[in-house]
Amino acid sequence: MKREAMPTGAMKEFIRAETERILAACTRCGKCFEACPMTPYSPVLAGADPKAVVTGILALLREEGNNPEAIGWTSVCVRSGSCVPACPENVDPKMMMRIARMTASGGLGGEKRIAARHDRDYFDRVRAFAKLQLTEDEIKDWM
Amino acid sequence: MGERITFWYGCNVLRHGDIIHSCLDILRLLGIDAQPAGGPDYCCGTGKDENQTAADGMARRTVTKFNAMQRERVVAWCPSCHSHMTEFMGQAYPPDFALTYLVDLLYERRQDLSALLKHPVPMRVLLHKHVGFNDKVAVNEKVPALLRLIPGVEVVDDGYAAPGYMCALLNLVPKAMADMNRETLRRVALHRADAVVTIFHQCYREICGLEAHANTKAFNYIHLLAQSIGLDYIDEYKAWKKAGADAAALIGEKRLAQVGVQFFDRALLPELMKRPLGLDPKSPDPKTQPAVVRGADED
Repeated sequence: MKREAMPTGAMKEFIRAETERILAACTRCGKCFEACPMTPYSPVLAGADPKAVVTGILALLREEGNNPEAIGWTSVCVRSGSCVPACPENVDPKMMMRIARMTASGGLGGEKRIAARHDRDYFDRVRAFAKLQLTEDEIKDWM
Repeated sequence: MGERITFWYGCNVLRHGDIIHSCLDILRLLGIDAQPAGGPDYCCGTGKDENQTAADGMARRTVTKFNAMQRERVVAWCPSCHSHMTEFMGQAYPPDFALTYLVDLLYERRQDLSALLKHPVPMRVLLHKHVGFNDKVAVNEKVPALLRLIPGVEVVDDGYAAPGYMCALLNLVPKAMADMNRETLRRVALHRADAVVTIFHQCYREICGLEAHANTKAFNYIHLLAQSIGLDYIDEYKAWKKAGADAAALIGEKRLAQVGVQFFDRALLPELMKRPLGLDPKSPDPKTQPAVVRGADED
Protein backbone atom coordinates (compact mmCIF):
# COMPACT_ATOMS: atom_id res chain seq x y z
CA MET A 1 0.00 0.00 0.00
CA LYS A 2 1.42 3.36 -0.99
CA ARG A 3 1.76 5.65 1.95
CA GLU A 4 0.66 9.27 1.83
CA ALA A 5 3.56 11.73 1.70
CA MET A 6 4.22 13.17 5.10
CA PRO A 7 3.51 16.90 5.41
CA THR A 8 6.41 19.18 6.30
CA GLY A 9 6.74 21.08 9.54
CA ALA A 10 6.28 18.16 11.92
CA MET A 11 9.64 18.73 13.64
CA LYS A 12 8.74 22.25 14.68
CA GLU A 13 5.34 21.01 15.86
CA PHE A 14 7.01 18.31 17.92
CA ILE A 15 9.47 20.83 19.39
CA ARG A 16 6.62 23.20 20.26
CA ALA A 17 4.74 20.40 22.00
CA GLU A 18 7.86 19.33 23.89
CA THR A 19 8.46 22.94 24.94
CA GLU A 20 4.94 23.17 26.35
CA ARG A 21 5.37 19.89 28.19
CA ILE A 22 8.67 21.00 29.72
CA LEU A 23 7.33 24.40 30.75
CA ALA A 24 4.39 22.72 32.47
CA ALA A 25 6.42 20.00 34.19
CA CYS A 26 9.56 21.77 35.42
CA THR A 27 9.48 22.92 39.06
CA ARG A 28 12.77 24.87 38.77
CA CYS A 29 14.40 22.82 41.53
CA GLY A 30 17.82 23.14 39.86
CA LYS A 31 18.84 19.50 40.32
CA CYS A 32 19.64 19.21 36.59
CA PHE A 33 22.08 22.11 36.81
CA GLU A 34 23.72 20.65 39.90
CA ALA A 35 24.29 17.33 38.09
CA CYS A 36 25.87 18.87 34.98
CA PRO A 37 29.60 18.06 34.52
CA MET A 38 30.11 21.02 32.20
CA THR A 39 29.21 23.97 34.44
CA PRO A 40 32.85 24.53 35.55
CA TYR A 41 33.68 25.35 31.94
CA SER A 42 31.55 28.49 31.81
CA PRO A 43 32.93 31.46 33.79
CA VAL A 44 29.49 33.05 34.09
CA LEU A 45 28.25 30.00 35.98
CA ALA A 46 30.68 30.30 38.88
CA GLY A 47 28.56 30.60 42.00
CA ALA A 48 25.33 30.63 40.02
CA ASP A 49 22.06 29.76 41.76
CA PRO A 50 20.80 26.54 40.10
CA LYS A 51 17.16 27.55 40.48
CA ALA A 52 17.81 30.93 38.88
CA VAL A 53 19.68 29.38 35.97
CA VAL A 54 16.84 26.94 35.28
CA THR A 55 14.34 29.79 35.53
CA GLY A 56 16.42 31.55 32.88
CA ILE A 57 16.35 28.46 30.67
CA LEU A 58 12.55 28.32 30.88
CA ALA A 59 12.37 32.00 29.96
CA LEU A 60 14.60 31.23 26.99
CA LEU A 61 12.18 28.50 25.91
CA ARG A 62 9.40 31.08 26.02
CA GLU A 63 11.58 33.41 23.90
CA GLU A 64 11.38 35.89 26.76
CA GLY A 65 14.82 36.01 28.26
CA ASN A 66 18.47 36.81 27.79
CA ASN A 67 19.70 35.60 31.16
CA PRO A 68 23.52 35.41 30.77
CA GLU A 69 23.77 32.38 33.02
CA ALA A 70 21.13 30.52 31.03
CA ILE A 71 22.92 31.42 27.80
CA GLY A 72 26.22 30.36 29.38
CA TRP A 73 24.87 26.98 30.42
CA THR A 74 23.29 26.43 27.03
CA SER A 75 26.63 27.24 25.39
CA VAL A 76 28.56 24.53 27.25
CA CYS A 77 25.94 21.78 27.09
CA VAL A 78 27.44 18.83 25.22
CA ARG A 79 24.54 16.42 25.92
CA SER A 80 26.14 14.44 28.71
CA GLY A 81 22.68 13.49 29.92
CA SER A 82 23.75 13.50 33.58
CA CYS A 83 20.79 15.81 34.18
CA VAL A 84 18.22 13.24 33.11
CA PRO A 85 18.32 10.90 36.12
CA ALA A 86 18.81 13.90 38.43
CA CYS A 87 15.39 15.32 37.55
CA PRO A 88 12.73 14.34 40.12
CA GLU A 89 9.90 15.26 37.73
CA ASN A 90 11.06 13.28 34.65
CA VAL A 91 11.17 16.50 32.65
CA ASP A 92 14.06 15.25 30.48
CA PRO A 93 16.37 18.21 31.03
CA LYS A 94 18.59 17.05 28.15
CA MET A 95 15.67 17.72 25.81
CA MET A 96 15.06 21.00 27.64
CA MET A 97 18.65 22.08 27.02
CA ARG A 98 18.60 20.95 23.41
CA ILE A 99 15.52 23.02 22.68
CA ALA A 100 17.05 25.92 24.62
CA ARG A 101 20.07 25.61 22.35
CA MET A 102 17.91 25.61 19.22
CA THR A 103 16.05 28.65 20.54
CA ALA A 104 19.20 30.53 21.56
CA SER A 105 20.78 29.97 18.17
CA GLY A 106 17.70 31.34 16.40
CA GLY A 107 16.76 27.94 15.01
CA LEU A 108 13.07 28.36 15.76
CA GLY A 109 12.82 31.76 14.17
CA GLY A 110 13.49 33.99 17.17
CA GLU A 111 16.40 36.18 18.23
CA LYS A 112 19.91 34.75 17.84
CA ARG A 113 21.54 34.78 21.26
CA ILE A 114 24.39 32.38 20.51
CA ALA A 115 26.71 32.91 17.56
CA ALA A 116 26.42 30.12 15.03
CA ARG A 117 28.95 29.77 12.26
CA HIS A 118 27.77 28.25 9.06
CA ASP A 119 30.39 25.79 7.83
CA ARG A 120 30.06 26.24 4.10
CA ASP A 121 32.30 23.25 3.40
CA TYR A 122 30.54 20.78 5.71
CA PHE A 123 28.82 18.55 3.16
CA ASP A 124 31.43 19.08 0.46
CA ARG A 125 34.08 17.97 2.96
CA VAL A 126 32.09 14.80 3.66
CA ARG A 127 31.75 14.15 -0.08
CA ALA A 128 35.47 14.80 -0.60
CA PHE A 129 36.49 12.26 2.04
CA ALA A 130 34.08 9.80 0.41
CA LYS A 131 35.72 10.35 -2.97
CA LEU A 132 39.10 9.62 -1.42
CA GLN A 133 38.06 6.26 0.01
CA LEU A 134 35.01 4.85 -1.75
CA THR A 135 34.71 3.65 -5.32
CA GLU A 136 32.47 5.45 -7.79
CA ASP A 137 29.98 2.59 -7.64
CA GLU A 138 29.92 2.69 -3.84
CA ILE A 139 29.27 6.42 -3.89
CA LYS A 140 26.47 5.92 -6.42
CA ASP A 141 24.84 3.05 -4.54
CA TRP A 142 25.45 4.01 -0.89
CA MET A 143 25.08 7.77 -0.76
CA MET B 1 21.10 -14.16 3.24
CA GLY B 2 19.28 -13.60 6.50
CA GLU B 3 17.79 -10.43 7.86
CA ARG B 4 17.53 -7.47 5.50
CA ILE B 5 18.65 -4.25 7.13
CA THR B 6 19.62 -0.74 6.15
CA PHE B 7 23.08 0.10 7.47
CA TRP B 8 22.83 3.84 8.17
CA TYR B 9 26.45 4.81 8.55
CA GLY B 10 26.00 8.58 8.74
CA CYS B 11 28.01 11.46 7.28
CA ASN B 12 31.33 12.11 8.95
CA VAL B 13 32.35 8.45 9.14
CA LEU B 14 32.99 8.83 5.42
CA ARG B 15 36.42 9.98 6.58
CA HIS B 16 36.97 6.36 7.54
CA GLY B 17 36.27 4.16 4.54
CA ASP B 18 38.02 1.31 6.34
CA ILE B 19 35.45 1.43 9.15
CA ILE B 20 32.50 1.41 6.72
CA HIS B 21 33.97 -1.44 4.67
CA SER B 22 34.82 -3.44 7.78
CA CYS B 23 31.32 -3.01 9.22
CA LEU B 24 29.78 -4.21 5.97
CA ASP B 25 32.07 -7.24 5.83
CA ILE B 26 31.27 -8.11 9.44
CA LEU B 27 27.53 -7.82 8.78
CA ARG B 28 27.87 -9.99 5.68
CA LEU B 29 29.87 -12.59 7.57
CA LEU B 30 27.11 -12.64 10.17
CA GLY B 31 24.68 -13.50 7.39
CA ILE B 32 22.97 -10.12 7.31
CA ASP B 33 21.88 -8.48 4.05
CA ALA B 34 22.93 -4.88 4.72
CA GLN B 35 22.11 -2.06 2.32
CA PRO B 36 24.47 0.85 3.12
CA ALA B 37 22.99 4.36 3.22
CA GLY B 38 24.66 7.55 4.35
CA GLY B 39 26.23 10.84 3.39
CA PRO B 40 24.49 14.18 2.89
CA ASP B 41 21.42 12.68 1.19
CA TYR B 42 20.66 10.66 4.33
CA CYS B 43 21.76 13.30 6.83
CA CYS B 44 19.79 13.32 10.09
CA GLY B 45 20.10 17.10 10.43
CA THR B 46 21.27 17.03 14.04
CA GLY B 47 23.83 19.71 13.29
CA LYS B 48 21.20 22.19 12.22
CA ASP B 49 20.17 23.54 15.61
CA GLU B 50 20.34 27.04 14.17
CA ASN B 51 17.94 26.23 11.33
CA GLN B 52 15.05 23.99 12.24
CA THR B 53 13.39 24.56 8.88
CA ALA B 54 16.37 22.83 7.25
CA ALA B 55 16.49 20.20 10.01
CA ASP B 56 12.79 19.49 9.45
CA GLY B 57 13.32 18.96 5.74
CA MET B 58 16.27 16.64 6.33
CA ALA B 59 14.35 14.62 8.91
CA ARG B 60 11.33 14.23 6.64
CA ARG B 61 13.46 13.36 3.62
CA THR B 62 15.56 10.75 5.45
CA VAL B 63 12.66 9.02 7.23
CA THR B 64 10.75 8.94 3.94
CA LYS B 65 13.69 7.33 2.14
CA PHE B 66 14.15 4.71 4.84
CA ASN B 67 10.43 3.93 4.84
CA ALA B 68 10.60 3.44 1.07
CA MET B 69 13.48 0.97 1.43
CA GLN B 70 11.09 -1.36 3.29
CA ARG B 71 13.79 -3.08 5.30
CA GLU B 72 13.04 -4.66 8.66
CA ARG B 73 15.29 -2.35 10.58
CA VAL B 74 17.71 0.49 10.20
CA VAL B 75 20.97 -0.18 11.99
CA ALA B 76 22.77 3.04 12.83
CA TRP B 77 26.52 3.37 13.13
CA CYS B 78 26.51 7.00 14.26
CA PRO B 79 25.38 7.89 17.80
CA SER B 80 24.26 11.34 16.65
CA CYS B 81 22.04 9.88 13.93
CA HIS B 82 20.66 7.29 16.35
CA SER B 83 19.94 9.91 19.01
CA HIS B 84 18.39 12.34 16.58
CA MET B 85 16.16 9.65 15.08
CA THR B 86 15.07 8.54 18.55
CA GLU B 87 14.58 11.98 20.06
CA PHE B 88 13.35 14.10 17.13
CA MET B 89 13.05 12.66 13.62
CA GLY B 90 11.11 9.55 14.54
CA GLN B 91 8.87 11.55 16.86
CA ALA B 92 7.94 13.97 14.12
CA TYR B 93 7.84 11.62 11.12
CA PRO B 94 6.58 8.09 11.79
CA PRO B 95 9.14 5.47 10.78
CA ASP B 96 8.11 2.15 9.23
CA PHE B 97 11.23 0.48 10.56
CA ALA B 98 12.82 -0.47 13.84
CA LEU B 99 15.99 1.38 14.80
CA THR B 100 18.97 -0.46 16.27
CA TYR B 101 22.44 0.73 17.12
CA LEU B 102 25.24 -1.35 15.58
CA VAL B 103 26.78 -2.19 18.95
CA ASP B 104 23.45 -3.70 20.03
CA LEU B 105 23.28 -5.78 16.86
CA LEU B 106 26.84 -7.06 17.29
CA TYR B 107 26.13 -7.80 20.94
CA GLU B 108 22.95 -9.72 19.97
CA ARG B 109 25.04 -11.75 17.57
CA ARG B 110 28.12 -12.06 19.78
CA GLN B 111 28.21 -15.86 19.66
CA ASP B 112 28.38 -15.82 15.86
CA LEU B 113 30.80 -12.91 15.96
CA SER B 114 33.06 -14.75 18.39
CA ALA B 115 33.40 -17.63 15.93
CA LEU B 116 34.81 -15.18 13.35
CA LEU B 117 37.47 -13.78 15.67
CA LYS B 118 40.27 -16.19 14.86
CA HIS B 119 43.41 -14.07 14.83
CA PRO B 120 44.90 -13.00 18.16
CA VAL B 121 45.33 -9.27 18.71
CA PRO B 122 47.69 -9.10 21.68
CA MET B 123 46.92 -5.70 23.11
CA ARG B 124 46.06 -4.13 26.46
CA VAL B 125 43.58 -1.39 25.74
CA LEU B 126 41.90 1.51 27.48
CA LEU B 127 38.36 2.09 26.22
CA HIS B 128 37.58 5.76 25.63
CA LYS B 129 34.14 6.38 27.10
CA HIS B 130 31.65 9.22 27.49
CA VAL B 131 28.88 9.66 30.02
CA GLY B 132 26.21 10.36 27.38
CA PHE B 133 24.50 7.94 24.96
CA ASN B 134 25.02 5.05 27.38
CA ASP B 135 21.44 5.59 28.59
CA LYS B 136 20.25 4.74 25.06
CA VAL B 137 22.64 1.91 24.31
CA ALA B 138 24.91 0.47 26.99
CA VAL B 139 27.99 0.95 24.85
CA ASN B 140 30.28 1.41 27.84
CA GLU B 141 29.51 -2.15 28.87
CA LYS B 142 28.82 -3.83 25.53
CA VAL B 143 31.88 -2.63 23.61
CA PRO B 144 34.31 -3.99 26.24
CA ALA B 145 32.34 -7.26 26.11
CA LEU B 146 32.80 -7.38 22.34
CA LEU B 147 36.49 -6.54 22.60
CA ARG B 148 36.98 -9.30 25.15
CA LEU B 149 35.79 -11.82 22.55
CA ILE B 150 39.01 -11.09 20.61
CA PRO B 151 41.82 -13.48 21.49
CA GLY B 152 44.65 -11.53 23.10
CA VAL B 153 42.77 -8.33 23.82
CA GLU B 154 42.77 -7.19 27.43
CA VAL B 155 40.46 -4.30 28.29
CA VAL B 156 41.60 -2.49 31.42
CA ASP B 157 39.01 -1.66 34.06
CA ASP B 158 38.82 2.09 34.29
CA GLY B 159 36.01 4.31 35.53
CA TYR B 160 36.74 7.50 33.59
CA ALA B 161 34.08 8.68 31.17
CA ALA B 162 34.44 12.08 29.54
CA PRO B 163 31.59 14.60 29.55
CA GLY B 164 29.26 14.75 26.58
CA TYR B 165 28.30 11.83 24.41
CA MET B 166 31.22 12.00 21.99
CA CYS B 167 34.33 14.10 21.44
CA ALA B 168 33.32 16.26 18.50
CA LEU B 169 30.98 18.37 20.65
CA LEU B 170 33.83 18.99 23.11
CA ASN B 171 35.41 21.08 20.38
CA LEU B 172 32.87 23.69 21.43
CA VAL B 173 34.48 23.86 24.85
CA PRO B 174 38.23 23.72 24.19
CA LYS B 175 39.22 23.55 27.86
CA ALA B 176 37.03 20.46 28.30
CA MET B 177 38.65 18.89 25.25
CA ALA B 178 42.11 19.66 26.64
CA ASP B 179 41.16 18.14 30.01
CA MET B 180 39.85 15.03 28.26
CA ASN B 181 43.06 14.60 26.26
CA ARG B 182 45.25 14.98 29.32
CA GLU B 183 43.13 12.63 31.39
CA THR B 184 43.10 10.03 28.62
CA LEU B 185 46.88 10.06 28.31
CA ARG B 186 47.28 9.97 32.09
CA ARG B 187 45.14 6.85 32.26
CA VAL B 188 46.90 5.18 29.35
CA ALA B 189 50.14 5.59 31.30
CA LEU B 190 48.56 4.60 34.62
CA HIS B 191 47.27 1.32 33.22
CA ARG B 192 50.30 0.77 30.99
CA ALA B 193 47.84 0.36 28.13
CA ASP B 194 49.15 -0.33 24.64
CA ALA B 195 46.40 1.68 23.00
CA VAL B 196 43.27 3.72 23.51
CA VAL B 197 40.17 2.41 21.72
CA THR B 198 37.17 4.55 20.80
CA ILE B 199 33.55 3.57 20.33
CA PHE B 200 32.51 6.40 18.01
CA HIS B 201 34.13 7.80 14.86
CA GLN B 202 33.67 11.33 16.20
CA CYS B 203 36.01 10.40 19.05
CA TYR B 204 38.38 8.47 16.82
CA ARG B 205 38.84 11.55 14.63
CA GLU B 206 40.13 13.41 17.69
CA ILE B 207 41.83 10.59 19.57
CA CYS B 208 43.87 9.34 16.63
CA GLY B 209 45.56 12.73 16.91
CA LEU B 210 47.12 11.34 20.09
CA GLU B 211 48.99 8.83 17.96
CA ALA B 212 50.15 11.59 15.66
CA HIS B 213 51.17 13.85 18.53
CA ALA B 214 52.05 11.71 21.54
CA ASN B 215 52.69 8.33 19.92
CA THR B 216 49.83 6.80 21.87
CA LYS B 217 48.31 4.16 19.64
CA ALA B 218 44.64 4.67 18.85
CA PHE B 219 41.99 2.48 17.26
CA ASN B 220 38.27 2.26 16.88
CA TYR B 221 36.77 -0.96 18.25
CA ILE B 222 35.82 -1.99 14.72
CA HIS B 223 39.51 -1.92 13.76
CA LEU B 224 40.28 -4.57 16.35
CA LEU B 225 37.32 -6.77 15.42
CA ALA B 226 38.33 -6.50 11.75
CA GLN B 227 41.95 -7.32 12.54
CA SER B 228 40.94 -10.44 14.42
CA ILE B 229 38.65 -11.56 11.61
CA GLY B 230 41.47 -11.06 9.13
CA LEU B 231 40.05 -8.07 7.26
CA ASP B 232 42.88 -5.89 6.08
CA TYR B 233 41.46 -2.48 5.21
CA ILE B 234 43.98 0.31 5.62
CA ASP B 235 43.27 3.12 8.08
CA GLU B 236 44.13 5.90 5.68
CA TYR B 237 42.68 8.68 7.81
CA LYS B 238 45.12 7.92 10.61
CA ALA B 239 48.01 7.78 8.16
CA TRP B 240 46.98 11.18 6.76
CA LYS B 241 46.57 12.56 10.26
CA LYS B 242 50.04 11.35 11.23
CA ALA B 243 51.50 12.81 8.07
CA GLY B 244 49.86 16.18 8.80
CA ALA B 245 51.16 18.78 6.36
CA ASP B 246 52.54 15.98 4.17
CA ALA B 247 49.22 14.13 3.85
CA ALA B 248 48.83 15.12 0.22
CA ALA B 249 51.81 12.98 -0.73
CA LEU B 250 50.09 9.90 0.72
CA ILE B 251 46.82 10.69 -1.01
CA GLY B 252 48.49 11.11 -4.35
CA GLU B 253 47.88 13.45 -7.24
CA LYS B 254 45.11 11.45 -8.87
CA ARG B 255 42.87 11.38 -5.81
CA LEU B 256 43.73 14.97 -4.90
CA ALA B 257 42.59 16.04 -8.34
CA GLN B 258 39.25 14.28 -7.73
CA VAL B 259 38.53 16.49 -4.73
CA GLY B 260 40.38 19.55 -6.02
CA VAL B 261 43.72 20.68 -4.66
CA GLN B 262 42.42 24.06 -3.52
CA PHE B 263 39.48 22.50 -1.74
CA PHE B 264 41.78 19.97 -0.08
CA ASP B 265 44.07 22.73 1.16
CA ARG B 266 41.17 24.82 2.46
CA ALA B 267 38.77 22.27 3.86
CA LEU B 268 40.57 19.00 4.57
CA LEU B 269 44.20 19.74 5.33
CA PRO B 270 43.60 21.93 8.42
CA GLU B 271 41.74 19.05 10.04
CA LEU B 272 44.55 16.61 9.24
CA MET B 273 47.12 19.01 10.69
CA LYS B 274 45.14 19.68 13.85
CA ARG B 275 46.73 18.25 16.96
CA PRO B 276 45.14 17.48 20.33
CA LEU B 277 44.65 20.37 22.71
CA GLY B 278 46.35 20.71 26.04
CA LEU B 279 49.07 18.09 25.93
CA ASP B 280 52.37 19.91 26.09
CA PRO B 281 53.88 23.31 25.29
CA LYS B 282 53.87 22.43 21.58
CA SER B 283 50.11 22.02 21.74
CA PRO B 284 47.87 24.89 20.77
CA ASP B 285 46.64 26.85 23.75
CA PRO B 286 42.86 26.32 24.13
CA LYS B 287 42.48 30.04 24.79
CA THR B 288 43.93 30.86 21.41
CA GLN B 289 42.05 28.21 19.44
CA PRO B 290 39.26 29.48 17.24
CA ALA B 291 35.89 28.51 18.67
CA VAL B 292 34.29 25.69 16.75
CA VAL B 293 30.62 26.34 16.44
CA ARG B 294 28.09 23.58 16.85
CA GLY B 295 26.87 22.19 13.62
CA ALA B 296 30.25 21.77 12.03
CA ASP B 297 31.20 18.39 13.40
CA GLU B 298 28.24 16.78 15.01
CA ASP B 299 27.74 13.49 13.32
